[in-house]
Amino acid sequence: MISVRGLRKHYKVHKRPPGLKAAFRSLFHREYTTVKAVDGISFEIRAGERVGFLGPNGAGKTTTLKVLSGLLHPSEGEVRVDGHVPRHREEAFLKKIMLVMGQKQQLLWDLPPAETFELNRAIYDVPQAQFKQTVDELVALLELEELIQKPSRQLSLGERMKCELAAALIHRPRVLFLDEPTIGLDVSMQVTMRSFIKAYTERHGATLILTSHYMDDVAALCPRIVVIDKGALSYDGGLDALVQRVRPEKRVMFRLEQPVEAARLTSLGRVVSHEPGSAVLQVPPEAVSATISRALSSLPVTDLTVENAPLEEVMSELFAENKARRASVAGEVGS
Amino acid sequence: MLRRYSRLLGVQLRASSLLAMQYRGDFLLEGVISLFWTFTAMVPLLVVYGERQAIAGWSFGEALLVVGWFTLLQGVLEGAITPSLNGVVEHIRKGTLDFVLLKPADAQFLVSTTRFEPWRSTNVLTGVAIFVYSFHLLGRGPSIPGLLASVVLLGTSTLLLYSMWILTVSAAFFVVKVDNLTYFFQSIFDAARWPSSVFKGPLAFVFTFLIPLALMTTFPAEAMLGRLPLRALVAAVVGSIVFAFISRRVWLRSIGHYTSAGG
Amino acid sequence: MSLRNTVRAFPSLLRVGFSEALAYRAELHVWVLSTTMPFIMMALWTAVARDEPIGPYNAEGFVGYFLATFVVRQLTGAWAAWQINYEVRQGTLAMRLLRPISPLWAYAAENLGAVPMRVMVAVPVAIFSVLVVGEQAVPREWWGWPLLLVTLLGGWLITFLANVCIGTMALFMESSNHVMDVWLVLFFILSGYMFPVSLGPPWLSALVDWLPFRYQIGLPVEVMTGRHELPETLLLLARQWIWVLVLGTLAVTLWRRGLRRFAAYGG
Repeated sequence: MISVRGLRKHYKVHKRPPGLKAAFRSLFHREYTTVKAVDGISFEIRAGERVGFLGPNGAGKTTTLKVLSGLLHPSEGEVRVDGHVPRHREEAFLKKIMLVMGQKQQLLWDLPPAETFELNRAIYDVPQAQFKQTVDELVALLELEELIQKPSRQLSLGERMKCELAAALIHRPRVLFLDEPTIGLDVSMQVTMRSFIKAYTERHGATLILTSHYMDDVAALCPRIVVIDKGALSYDGGLDALVQRVRPEKRVMFRLEQPVEAARLTSLGRVVSHEPGSAVLQVPPEAVSATISRALSSLPVTDLTVENAPLEEVMSELFAENKARRASVAGEVGS
Repeated sequence: MLRRYSRLLGVQLRASSLLAMQYRGDFLLEGVISLFWTFTAMVPLLVVYGERQAIAGWSFGEALLVVGWFTLLQGVLEGAITPSLNGVVEHIRKGTLDFVLLKPADAQFLVSTTRFEPWRSTNVLTGVAIFVYSFHLLGRGPSIPGLLASVVLLGTSTLLLYSMWILTVSAAFFVVKVDNLTYFFQSIFDAARWPSSVFKGPLAFVFTFLIPLALMTTFPAEAMLGRLPLRALVAAVVGSIVFAFISRRVWLRSIGHYTSAGG
Repeated sequence: MSLRNTVRAFPSLLRVGFSEALAYRAELHVWVLSTTMPFIMMALWTAVARDEPIGPYNAEGFVGYFLATFVVRQLTGAWAAWQINYEVRQGTLAMRLLRPISPLWAYAAENLGAVPMRVMVAVPVAIFSVLVVGEQAVPREWWGWPLLLVTLLGGWLITFLANVCIGTMALFMESSNHVMDVWLVLFFILSGYMFPVSLGPPWLSALVDWLPFRYQIGLPVEVMTGRHELPETLLLLARQWIWVLVLGTLAVTLWRRGLRRFAAYGG
């Protein structure tokens, strides 16, 4: 469905150094640097897959999405979405896709979302019957009943995002690009959005690419993740496999009946946190059952859970690894 | 496809009308100030004609026709053209132009039909009132073929204004921080208030061929007076079509630059 | 908000204002290019005076007059009314109020900061005027030059203070941009911007002498082209600076009242 080969996107940016003298000089002589937003990425996505793009800020995730939706021309490389070349922006292609950007909105500001729905219906040429069905479905799933007749500017951020998402789906796109859709939303709204997106993609067989900084979004929605760091592909595969590779240690969380001295904990494994009523140990996967049985016999445990390391930590460690690797490569080249 | 685009236009018009009703107080006030400006801007005209009977071959009544056309076109400009294209500059600044480009419809069409301000039709009515008064002063009526020609010229003038605006907005793709394009545009348009024979030498060239203000207000006035030669009318029609074609090409080039340079 | 504090801080405020003007030079270019009215009027009035002069102005006199108008307009422009409206609407005025210096000084510095760049445009035009029109374009007496500077400063102050007065109305009503529009319309007609004030009918000239607009543009232009003798120039200068005082007092009063209301209602 989506095929990307050797994608590169470079920008020429002119340097604007600070200070008055430099500003005067730049009136006459411009210096340029090349920014490599995306530097050689390749991947394939099948129809109906849900993929999460992860990476630090400025890694090239949004740039890749924009190339996939035809908003940016690649500097090099081949991109195909459902047989179309996005750059050509064919009408048929544009009717199949949607890009939702969490920090920008397409809802008409002073008018109710219902007007934006109408407008999109006319633009995407959606038959009346299908339009009504789609709107009813979206209103029901997202609980928009009371919201769509109020001017957009009167809605809270969470309500607006829901309407924004609905407006994006009026034409039942087959490919969804979501760029940080849950940014700034409270926890319950994030949960609502996630379950909606999952239900929608499953019901309509849509393909989804999601970028987010909230690991919970990715964990809940995307069985497969692609990690992009400094414009390059760092990992492509399942989330669990990544965790196994980067931070396979498990976290064992104990609830304690009474406080316990640190010494008794350190003998069991690495202590991550130690409170009067609880403690968290980091334990290599092979040693988990042994550690648990020793803990149960020697500590006043009332409750216990075993988890993977938090995704945030996994990602930070991955990026740190990448950074170190890049530094050592640069060091070798330099020397 | 024509049906689809006319349906789209209908939807956009409805959205604008809703907005116009909601903010009618604001819009009406702006219309009143615009009229205030129209009349006070006639003061220099009064001062000039206090001293002379004719300026560059135009009597007071005749010059008033040019002012009438200026007022009328200003209504068209501020009611139908400026509001939408201001929206483009907003989009570029907020980064939401991407949404327009994502839609499966021509970007120039979408962007040009976003917003209309129907309250500016007061300018159009005022323009017509000025025509009536001018002909009263001149002591005769307009020639009928001249009147028809002037209606044609209304169409060409609108097309010219629109194309000029598209060119100006296309510049915004390259120089994002240009907030005051409206003001700039109107300052240039101000020269159209006067009969074009006032401008001599290089300015005459500029205002006839580069920024064809002469065509927009002087030609229709001359048509109404029955003294516009046929070839001038033809030149106006052909010229405005060519101009529209050029501005479309520039627009497409600018969008291309926007998408390849990274928006 | 001690005076000493303000005086010490003002140079850096000015420097910041200048850097901002430099950073926004694209916009400055647009503003300068939008000053088309003097040239349009120049074309119109030279056409009128082609065969014989009107009052004290012949065709060349008009050219000198309107080139001077362009120069003066560049050097006396201010946009504080728009600034204040914008900041009240965006809520950023509250942040300015947290600082120990009155925002009015900051606005003054920002508006003044654009002057150096505008001088770079104004001076070539003035030189061009001298080349084309000869000595009619600039003061011919020695006292013309210092008085020109005084009257330019007065013109700037009137423009700036009027902007502040109208801008502070935004603290009382929702938006005062429309009031500014009306002011601009009156300014165009009554200041000598579109035609020399001496050319209108006598009742207009009399009216114009009592209003501040004439002292924003008309007077500096007349001093620059050496239209008046010394006693008359001094008299007109006095009137200009009376207006400066009046508007200054009004501006400060409105501002203080406005801020009290702003603080009470949260803007």
